[in-house]
Amino acid sequence: MNRLRIHIAAAAALAIAFHALTVWALPRLIMDRIITLGNGDARGQLGAQASTGVYLPPPTDHTQRRIVMPSPDLLYATCAYDLSDGPLRIRMAASYPSYWSIALYASTTDNFFVVNDRKTSGARIDLRLIGPQAAKSAAPGDVIAPTARGFLLLRLLVNDDSAVRAAAETTRRTLRCERS
Amino acid sequence: MPRQRLIIASVYIAAFFLGVGSAWLWLTGVGIAGIDAGAWRVNLLAGSQNADAYTRARIALGAVLALDRSETLYYTTQRDDQGEPLRAECRYKVEGSPPPARWWSITAYDQDHFLFPNTERRYSVGTESAQLDSAGRFSLTIGPLPANERDNRAWIPTAGTGGLRLTLRLYNPDPAVQQSPGSLSAPSISLNGNCL
Repeated sequence: MNRLRIHIAAAAALAIAFHALTVWALPRLIMDRIITLGNGDARGQLGAQASTGVYLPPPTDHTQRRIVMPSPDLLYATCAYDLSDGPLRIRMAASYPSYWSIALYASTTDNFFVVNDRKTSGARIDLRLIGPQAAKSAAPGDVIAPTARGFLLLRLLVNDDSAVRAAAETTRRTLRCERS
Repeated sequence: MPRQRLIIASVYIAAFFLGVGSAWLWLTGVGIAGIDAGAWRVNLLAGSQNADAYTRARIALGAVLALDRSETLYYTTQRDDQGEPLRAECRYKVEGSPPPARWWSITAYDQDHFLFPNTERRYSVGTESAQLDSAGRFSLTIGPLPANERDNRAWIPTAGTGGLRLTLRLYNPDPAVQQSPGSLSAPSISLNGNCL
């Protein structure tokens, strides 16, 4: 009987551990899937776009059922990265005349960096993203990622005007995620 | 002896399901914490590196890839001003003044956090599409049918039956509302007519 009590106590401790593990692991598992699918999307593209490391999803509508709460006001571009083998260079023409932002997410889902059209000057965005293992060798201006794997999301505000949509399309096609 | 082993094994299996199940129920059944503004609630830790484990998990389930509050405030609701659950089969009037932000939008989502299917591809109303009256206020309809068949520009269609979620996005919110998100004069939400 005493043995059974010990097992019940151990099982209760395990239940608490499983609870905590589930809460901890869930965002990481969801992000891992987003990164893995994002990698596949970028590699699956045809033509010149295939070498940019960037995926250009179709305009947002109700058929988009991969990432929750998509914004229909935005045109997106994505880039899944892994900094284990070295830094990443992120470049884009910054000429879009309306709101845009480039946000970086760690594999924990944290949004650790964001830049938008009003936070930048000049005709181009040119960022060097380095992983946590290389943080000590970071140069001024480098962005240090808290985790080696992560995800970039470009947002461009669009409306029903075909000229606006064309300008947003042109801008997102200039986005590059390449080994530095 | 085999019976005792069976009991012990059952205890450990139950522990697994209790641990995982309680976490899932806690994450999906308990609303996200935050600051209220009218019927809306904003969580200031969405996307933040300072988010606690429960907030991070809830955001991952319902709003993954959210921007940090420095860039965007996300106000969400599943209830009207009377505290009644929003339903996709009901028609609601949403009214207010344009929120103080560089741009804003109100989007309707199905209970699964995805957009409602509609042939007109109309999912949101905001800075780019809101019609303002002479007092500078907007009024829009969210539901299966428009309030006005002749002019349905201020209408976000819903489909089917079940829960309805609304998200009010404030991109680059003004400093005052960024500092005090509860001070937002949030759009009102009221039932308009009968449900289908």
